[in-house]
Amino acid sequence: MTDRYPTSDPRPLPNPGWGPLSALPGNPLMWVLILSEMVVFAAFFGLFAWLRAGEREVFDASQQLLDPVAGGLNTMVLLTSGLFAALAVQAIKAGHVRRCRQWLWAAFALGVVFCVVKVVEYADKLGQGLMPETNTFFTFYYLLTGFHFAHVLFGLGLIALVAWRISHANVETAAAFWHMVDLIWILLYPIIYLLR
Amino acid sequence: MGAMQNALRNAATRRLLITWAVLMGLTLITMLSAQLGGEARLAALPLWSAGLLLATTFFKAHRVLMVYLGLSDASPAWRGAFVGLVLATLVLVASGYLVAQLA
Repeated sequence: MTDRYPTSDPRPLPNPGWGPLSALPGNPLMWVLILSEMVVFAAFFGLFAWLRAGEREVFDASQQLLDPVAGGLNTMVLLTSGLFAALAVQAIKAGHVRRCRQWLWAAFALGVVFCVVKVVEYADKLGQGLMPETNTFFTFYYLLTGFHFAHVLFGLGLIALVAWRISHANVETAAAFWHMVDLIWILLYPIIYLLR
Repeated sequence: MGAMQNALRNAATRRLLITWAVLMGLTLITMLSAQLGGEARLAALPLWSAGLLLATTFFKAHRVLMVYLGLSDASPAWRGAFVGLVLATLVLVASGYLVAQLA
């Protein structure tokens, strides 16, 4: 196994000894997780879009009951939290442990804001009697946003853990997970809340 | 503020901040293209609007992969695999959307 890119690129591989994963930055196992999560969500998004084709009126009427502005604000909150996580990685690379910890807690705080907005949204929907069994749209709404919400909670736990047991590898791995949570929401928001 | 000023000196950090600004702008474009105000919110999106919405979504996902996740430093094969997966997801969604509109 060569420790360089298979082209004329003179840079060393980020993870020599990891086979095909050698050319990926950060923890290779995190990339396995990111890829598998993306495939799972892609399958759900595709299924959602094709089921909508069969029940367009139900899906469009149900979508009108969601709050797309709150969803958009949550997108901005999560993307800003992602920026803070990326800045934490930059700080730890420069050896600034204290600054890294500050960025991590800033990312954590915005993650909590995302959760609060989501909980308010869930409470509103449940208060209106809109349950997962109401129709196919709401089954997918709760399934997809709930699955994503579980990832946000896990990510928050990971960030808190890493802020406590800080190291370059730990921060990079937690930030990669957090960016995956960003990425999934970037795809989820327009598909569930906006496309009609 | 001191921490922010130091961070701004760093080229990599500047790239992150520019990417964040682009992502914020694209999120606003996504929301605007979805025509959330007034009566338009009750109607189906025009095709150009749905196309713009999916295009901005693709570009946002691409930026997160390349800059936030650092995939721009990976091999072309991995970059192609991840970008291809995002593209395939959005093509699948767009095809379902078109079938719904034409039905």
